[in-house]
Amino acid sequence: MQKLKIVTAIAAMIMASPVLAQEITVWDVNVDDAAHATYYDHAKAAFEAAHPGATLNLLSQPDAEYYTLLGTALASKAGPDVIWANGGAQAKALVGGLIPLDDKLPDLISKLVGKSAFTGPDGKLYFIPTTLQGHVVYYNKALYKAAGLDPEKPPTTWAELTKVCDTFKASGKPACFMMANKEGYNAEFFLSEAANQSLTATQQADWLAGKLHWSDPPIKAILQAWVDTAKNGWYQEGGNSQTMFMDEFALFEQGIAANVMGLLSNVAHWKQFEKNMGVDKVGVYPMPSPTVAGDQHEGAPGVPLDGGVGYGVNKDSPNIDLAVDAVRILASPEVLSYLVNDTGSVPANTEVNTSGIDSPGLKQIMGWLATRAVPTTHANSSAAELDEWHRQSQLLYNGEATVEQAAVALDKVQADAKPQK
Amino acid sequence: MLFLLPAILLVLVFRIFPLFWGFAISLTSATSTDPGQFIGAGNYLRALDDPNFRSAMANAVAVLLSVPIFVTIPMLLAILIHQGVPGRTFFRSVYFFPAILSSVIIGSIFSVVLSFNGNLNALLNLAGISGVDWLGHSATALPVTLAIQCWSTFGMGVLIFLAGLSTVSKEMVEAARLDGAKMWQIWWHVIIPELRPIIEFSTVITTIGLLTSMFGLIYVLTGGGPGTATTVPEYLIWAAQGRLNRPAYAAAVSMVLFLMTSILAWLQIRILSRNANI
Repeated sequence: MQKLKIVTAIAAMIMASPVLAQEITVWDVNVDDAAHATYYDHAKAAFEAAHPGATLNLLSQPDAEYYTLLGTALASKAGPDVIWANGGAQAKALVGGLIPLDDKLPDLISKLVGKSAFTGPDGKLYFIPTTLQGHVVYYNKALYKAAGLDPEKPPTTWAELTKVCDTFKASGKPACFMMANKEGYNAEFFLSEAANQSLTATQQADWLAGKLHWSDPPIKAILQAWVDTAKNGWYQEGGNSQTMFMDEFALFEQGIAANVMGLLSNVAHWKQFEKNMGVDKVGVYPMPSPTVAGDQHEGAPGVPLDGGVGYGVNKDSPNIDLAVDAVRILASPEVLSYLVNDTGSVPANTEVNTSGIDSPGLKQIMGWLATRAVPTTHANSSAAELDEWHRQSQLLYNGEATVEQAAVALDKVQADAKPQK
Repeated sequence: MLFLLPAILLVLVFRIFPLFWGFAISLTSATSTDPGQFIGAGNYLRALDDPNFRSAMANAVAVLLSVPIFVTIPMLLAILIHQGVPGRTFFRSVYFFPAILSSVIIGSIFSVVLSFNGNLNALLNLAGISGVDWLGHSATALPVTLAIQCWSTFGMGVLIFLAGLSTVSKEMVEAARLDGAKMWQIWWHVIIPELRPIIEFSTVITTIGLLTSMFGLIYVLTGGGPGTATTVPEYLIWAAQGRLNRPAYAAAVSMVLFLMTSILAWLQIRILSRNANI
């Protein structure tokens, strides 16, 4: 009888253990980054305080292989409870494996911006964005001054930008812009930056739906601008074999080029450049567009931006409610403030207090966000289109394809990725 | 039979089952989050219509055309070492050294050496020659990548040929020399015919290696570009799965690559069985 009691007690303990020790696993590529440590520590502490007995297990994943690993894990129903993803094509490719969060976190969602990068084809939100990502141009004020340009008056129109680059080209060195298109990323940045004022609101929506084509005039003008800027010597030589992260930005900091197409959050952003070059040595401006849409005023400040990174919940998670709460905590203003202060990321939650950050660059950027923000064109492209744009941009850069040929190839991929009924 | 069971089970579980599973997936429209539907040969037909697949296959053919270089260089070096050139122990070690480096390290080293502002162009500039974007132009990217692959693997080839040379009859070489044969005649009429089984074996394993083991180098050096200049089938498989969330299409391309390597394996078996009777 005694033995039976012991066996029963052990069996009960074993059966109860999953309840007693619930674990929510999060996959994220930034867990090992020291700059993110405080943010994760506070998220873990907040989660475990809210759910005694449960643990938040943040697992670092390799950046380069992340989506391959995640795809394999999801396909075999072995994915994590909470999934980190970049906004845009990569997040949208995952929505089939996630639960929509609209009904789960309505209060939090009402305070977010940059949601379109995480919205599925059914219009529902599948990730909660934590940071915003967008594109601006950072420039080296000392190099502007040395070239005889006013470092406090960066270009606001395409004509002014052309004049700036002509000045640098005439002086021989440095290059006007850094170019790093080995992986095709600079072409992505250029697409979104050059489209800043090129598309009307309707065209933006048409682009997302696949109704505005690569061969249509506003997009074709961007492809032509890509070719013309390369042909007119805006970039340093060897751009097609130059790695972007982080070599390109280190070279910019060393003064190899006067301008670089950069980001708003995480890396290659205002905080990194101000820290490495000096607050008074780096300036920022929104990239002008080669063509200006009918509903835009040329030179009006504004930036292309969208949700940068976010967290979603695996539909196969055995603890969906807990996983949703983990996402809520990871995206809460209190916890997010550590991420913003430590990494300089621009938060997607409007309630995060950024007043403690004393940066002229960030103040300018926040002002443009409030004035005018358009969706990033590349985040609203399909993964297949971006993949093809990487290839075509390299061929265009080398003069190995014409704009017409590139547009035809990209149209074909777009038609396949976003079929029209 | 009982003793063979573990080995048979391992082959079945880790080789045969994944192969059939991959083939089954290639007949569907599966993504990482959706098992998809049966679409028959849809992915294979899609591959035929995919310019990137066609480019990858054309690059695979270009890679195969370079096989004679991959075989000849180590063979010649091995013969020289075997014939007792001064410092042969040193050369044998140095030649083998790249073989112990991972493709990622080799790719990183050559990314620095071959970048536009890298060491090679600096040397060219000293000689008054303009630099070339070796990895950024379609005309140079694949030949340069193959040259690096050759550099990184020829040491193993040298070892294989040295092992083969140890079986060449010393009496025959000596007899040829006594008959007044010149050095090149001894190579051409005695040593190389004796090495035929090794040459054939080296050709087959080099071919399979080139088709299935260049991913790391390409990933680090060029990312498959510019355009599709260095995209080979195995790189396309990774891109379809890792970047485009198309595991079914990746599986279809994998099956095509498997078919190619199977044909080569069949050739290998035929060659080895034929040579067994020599």
